[in-house]
Amino acid sequence: MRPLTEEETKTMFEKLSKYIGENIKLLVDRPDGVYCFRLHHDRVYYMSEKILKLATNFSRDKLMSVGTCFGKFTKTKKFRLHITALDFLAPYAKFKVWVKPGTEQSFLYGNHVLKSGLGRITENTMQYQGVVVYSMADVPLGFGVAAKSTQECRRVDPMSIVVFHQADVGEFIRNEETLT
Amino acid sequence: MRRLYVGGLSHTVTEKDLKDRFGKFGAVEDVELRTRKDPEGVPYKTFGYVNINISDADLKKCLTVLNKSKWKGGTLQIEIAKESFLHRLAQERQEAAEQRLQQPAAEDKRQKLLDSLSKAGVDNFTMKAAVPGTEIPGHKDWVVSKFGRVLPILQLRSQKGSKCRNLKYDPSKYSHNIRKLDRNTIPDEAIPVTQLTWEVQGGDDEISKKRRGEFPPCEPWRPKKSRTDNVSGRTRFEHPVNFVSHTEAHQLTNGFEKQNDHRLAQKKWRHFTDSDGDSEEEIRRVVAAQQTSHVPPQQQEVEEDNLEVVGYDFLAKSACKGDQDKDEYDSADTDELFASRKPPPAKCQEKHTPPTAEHLSGNNTDKKRKTKTKRKAGEQEEEDGSTDDEEHLTSRKPSCVQQKRGSSEQKLNKKTLVLPVARPSSSESDSDEEDEGDEEDSVDSCSDSDYEAMFSNVTHLEISLADLQKLAEEAEQNSNTVAPSFLGAGLEQETLFTSFPAEQPAPKKGSTPEEILAMIMEDDSSEDEQKKKKRKRKGVTSAPLPAFQGTKALNEVSEDKEEDDGRGIEVKKQKMNSDSPQLVHKQTDSKTITSVRDQNHAETKISDSSEQEEEDDEEEEEDDDDEEEDESDDGDDDDDEEEDESDDEEEEKGEIIKVMPPPDVLKKVTTKVCVNAEKAETESSSSSEEEEEGRVNSSQTVVNVKSAAKALPSSCSSSGKDKNEQQVISANGGVKAALNRETSTSEEEEEEEEPALPRMALGVEEEEERQRQANMRRLAAVQQRQKEAEEHKKLIQGALANLDAPVAGAGKHIVFGSEDEEDDGNDDGDQQRMDSEVLASRKTLFQDSQSEDEATGDEAAANKSVKVKAEVRLKSSGPQLFGGSDDEDEEDDSRFDIKPQFEGQAGQKLMALQSRFGTDERFRMDSRFLEEDEEVKDEDSETKKSLVEDDEDLEEEKKKTLSILQSVLGQQHCSSKTAGKAKKFKDVSALHYDPSKEEHAAFETKKEEVKKESKAARKKKREEAQKLPEVSKEIYYDVSGDLKTVFGQSKDETDQQEEKMNWDQKEEEEEEEEEEGERKEEEEESAPLLSVPSAEKEDSSGFKFSFFGDDTETGSKETAVYKVEAIQAPKVSWHQDPRFHDSSSEEEEDEQEEDEEQGNITANTTEVVMPSHTEFFFFYPDDDRLTEGPKLFWRVSELEEQREQWEERRSALRQEYRKKHKDARRKLTSSLKS
Repeated sequence: MRPLTEEETKTMFEKLSKYIGENIKLLVDRPDGVYCFRLHHDRVYYMSEKILKLATNFSRDKLMSVGTCFGKFTKTKKFRLHITALDFLAPYAKFKVWVKPGTEQSFLYGNHVLKSGLGRITENTMQYQGVVVYSMADVPLGFGVAAKSTQECRRVDPMSIVVFHQADVGEFIRNEETLT
Repeated sequence: MRRLYVGGLSHTVTEKDLKDRFGKFGAVEDVELRTRKDPEGVPYKTFGYVNINISDADLKKCLTVLNKSKWKGGTLQIEIAKESFLHRLAQERQEAAEQRLQQPAAEDKRQKLLDSLSKAGVDNFTMKAAVPGTEIPGHKDWVVSKFGRVLPILQLRSQKGSKCRNLKYDPSKYSHNIRKLDRNTIPDEAIPVTQLTWEVQGGDDEISKKRRGEFPPCEPWRPKKSRTDNVSGRTRFEHPVNFVSHTEAHQLTNGFEKQNDHRLAQKKWRHFTDSDGDSEEEIRRVVAAQQTSHVPPQQQEVEEDNLEVVGYDFLAKSACKGDQDKDEYDSADTDELFASRKPPPAKCQEKHTPPTAEHLSGNNTDKKRKTKTKRKAGEQEEEDGSTDDEEHLTSRKPSCVQQKRGSSEQKLNKKTLVLPVARPSSSESDSDEEDEGDEEDSVDSCSDSDYEAMFSNVTHLEISLADLQKLAEEAEQNSNTVAPSFLGAGLEQETLFTSFPAEQPAPKKGSTPEEILAMIMEDDSSEDEQKKKKRKRKGVTSAPLPAFQGTKALNEVSEDKEEDDGRGIEVKKQKMNSDSPQLVHKQTDSKTITSVRDQNHAETKISDSSEQEEEDDEEEEEDDDDEEEDESDDGDDDDDEEEDESDDEEEEKGEIIKVMPPPDVLKKVTTKVCVNAEKAETESSSSSEEEEEGRVNSSQTVVNVKSAAKALPSSCSSSGKDKNEQQVISANGGVKAALNRETSTSEEEEEEEEPALPRMALGVEEEEERQRQANMRRLAAVQQRQKEAEEHKKLIQGALANLDAPVAGAGKHIVFGSEDEEDDGNDDGDQQRMDSEVLASRKTLFQDSQSEDEATGDEAAANKSVKVKAEVRLKSSGPQLFGGSDDEDEEDDSRFDIKPQFEGQAGQKLMALQSRFGTDERFRMDSRFLEEDEEVKDEDSETKKSLVEDDEDLEEEKKKTLSILQSVLGQQHCSSKTAGKAKKFKDVSALHYDPSKEEHAAFETKKEEVKKESKAARKKKREEAQKLPEVSKEIYYDVSGDLKTVFGQSKDETDQQEEKMNWDQKEEEEEEEEEEGERKEEEEESAPLLSVPSAEKEDSSGFKFSFFGDDTETGSKETAVYKVEAIQAPKVSWHQDPRFHDSSSEEEEDEQEEDEEQGNITANTTEVVMPSHTEFFFFYPDDDRLTEGPKLFWRVSELEEQREQWEERRSALRQEYRKKHKDARRKLTSSLKS
């Protein structure tokens, strides 16, 4: 476990900023304590200082995970967000998409969100903007990337994809063994 | 031949019958009978068809005769039916055959025509080398058409409008008449579909295969590309059925032409299908295509309506929205919820039945049990129960009268059940006990989560109480018109009200609704009392919110007490030679019940008195009572509410006793006695005269109490007692049913008391007697308090009942669970509980001893009892807040004291250590452990140091990450900011001038100063004017000097200004480009502020022209003033936009986040944080403006203060004015003089 390098931090922040913009600052600079990002087994964990200290008691190979996993760095050194980060993305998300009750399940099975299942969308969402997907009851379901801008969304036919699926809470079950 | 339908036949009719019947009118060829049968095979309709050879006349006759005629039990209905299809078929075939026979004749005609035509040179309807349009010779209406064809001219009759005219259709004028007249070539039969298909000849290559519709087996669904694919356009082929794409359909349609425009093609194709009548398969495909082509657009439209676009700041709008969504999801569930929330109305009815059942049954104890369990089961009844309980209470007291007579009251009740009058009362006492049973259950069952909901219900109940008052008044007028018909009413309130009449007959005395009302009110007030200790007794309706836990605990405590009391009193009873085996038995059965009974026992006297009081209330002698209260109770800030009276009196007792210094026992006793006397008087005041006397007496006694005179109070008490007894007797007389046995017991009691009467004459024993009575009364009061607590419990219970209602089925569970809970609670609070119990038992012991040993009756005991009483009082009232008894509180108090060994920092450590082991005696930490602690401390400090280092590391890391973040967000940040900027709403209304703020002083036009200065200047002026000639020279120099300085200054100023601007700019640059727009604004804002003074300065400094030298001086002074302003102006933060961060606002923020000093970064962070402070045009939920705004309207200070201030000011102003006035006068006089 080590702090992220500048490069890594940048990569991660760039990714995160797609979803929560400058609200990353609220993650880094929290009033309730010192929180930090740590890299462990190519995964980035977000944890409080307290947990960080507790985690130092474990050897690197024995430590499965600590804090909240935000995502992992791929072999190509890109950062990939995991669904576990949703808890921190959802409250700060700038752009949101609400899916209709019928589409919820489809989304939670890993499918993209089609126009027909789109219940509500934040205005001025740009194309390829990172969005957090909510159910109509405002339960965060996952996140993805807007395939169409809000304006386009109005026009496109109902079977076209509006949000590309990236991660959903269904993964907690589907990818249980890999999620840490 | 006709076919007739014959309906309405009976089932028994046979064909032969029908044949006979219709045979009269004609020859019946065939009869067909049909019978309709339902699934079971029972015929329900029979009809027949009759084929009959009949003439029209006969038919008419037949119809008139047989139609609607009755035949064999049925009404015939005869109609002409369609021909049987078989018959028709045969007919048609026959006709066809006939046609075939007729054809040759037509042939002949045709042959003729052909012959004649051929004569004219027409061969096979063609005339070679003939000009189109030429008539055929010999045939007028035949003409040569194109290609030498011979065609007939058609005469067409058109019927347009009213005119009938013939149109002549000359085929020669219209070309392209393809159809040949030759009959053989006319295709009569439809060509089967299979023959219509084309066969595509071609090789085996893929394309040709595809043309033929043979596709490779596992081809995926073809995307839209295929739409533009026209390869198969020219061919018509068989498609695989599952190939649904409408593009294929297009292809299919294009049998003849190559399509370029698909839409057009589609249209054409549709036409085609219509005309061609294609095979089913094709049609199916067509339909599918249509569906795909048509339905989607509709969907799109629909969905476009549904699509919602929300702003950035879209919030999940609270619960209501969620609820809506919920509804969307599972409306059925919500329905269920609603259904389950509906209060079960039937329960109320049930509720009333158990007591009545009890009335009938002789065996009380069993029934009691049963009803108790019933209650448990139907917990929702308690909503009614709460109100009813109060009434039960009212009835309980009267019933107590009976109980008082002996300890064998229970027996009596049971025996007297047979008697008409005693029955209701006994049953009610039973019901009381039941109620108490329930109370406990329900109170247990109520958990904290239900607490709030409960109180909403409580308020509801209060409202009903208010209504109750009204209704009681009405009922009074009606005077006990029993309305049992109400019993069935399902509504709470109704039951509440109706339960009066139902129970009214029970108490013999004071059964009027007023009394009940009084009792209820009393209960309420007493509850309040417990809660708020008499100060807030007024608020009968105010539901004491925070006391729930307290009451629960209180109830528990009181239960314990009750039990103890019960035991004590049981003993007492036994001594009183009253056989109470049953009673004891009952105690073993259910302690609470016995306790209640015991309570009643102990209360008997007091209850009598209270009854009497109630009677007084009936007579509406509130004023008197109030007076009494006032007399006895000085600190009582009481209202005139009648409800409180009895409680007040009881309270008074306690209060007075408390107030008295402890050594003066005698006095206390006397006071008690006097209070008792008061009561007795009030009791006795059934007639107004007596009451007045009593009042006088009471007042006297009060006076006497203070003088500690014995004689008068004793007499009073004696008189009171006499009356009391008399009334008791009368009451007994009133109770008819229980009379026989009760009177005997009462006589016994009288005997007991009668000996006291002679004693009263004696000094000492009289006192003792008084003490005894006082004790009794006190005891009674205590018990009443308990009762009140119970009532409160009931109230809560009743309130909770509403809560429990929805989970009707689960009511049982809750009850039992809660009981368990209670048990647990008991276990938990074991120690304290035990303590309290012990205490209580001790008390009761004391009380008992006092009551028992009348002879001994020593002062010490009295004193103790007094103390006990006070304690009890405290107990009952104490635990409201913290749910523990008073003793607990005391313990807690001591517990919260910091123990000496835990003081200081070392102590803290020690305590932390100790806390690890809890309160275990074996691991008690003391100072010996402190040394270790210090070591530990050292270690801690070391670790702390390391921690600090870590923290620093983390801090650094954080900084780093933030800087990275800055770099990451950099451009984005700016862009978003600028975008946001344009939108930002500048709230002009938020700008306001606040004179109290020092910053805003810059906006005050400093006229006063100027004036003052001008005043001074004027003085100087005046002086100088006098010295004018001398000074002028200096002035000149001054002016020159001024000019220099002024010029210099002005330059400086301009420099400064520039500097200022630079400084501004610098700062703004620091504050990032995002503020560009604002900077401009700011500059614009600051510019006039700068420019105006500078202009003036220029006026004053640059161009100093004056007629008088002194003016220049003033001018220079003024410039000085302005100078200051000019510099200050931009620094003042106020006139800049609030969200603009100048030094002051930043400082504020720094104050807020002092802990994190990060130089530049802080500035950035603050700016990032700021957007939350940005102002929008519309108010949002926690808008600062909403909190700030009203402050503008609020009075800063109290009105009084303002007035004072104003008065001060006024006086100052007046003085000033006077001074001015004087000055003016003086001036005037001086001027006059001069």
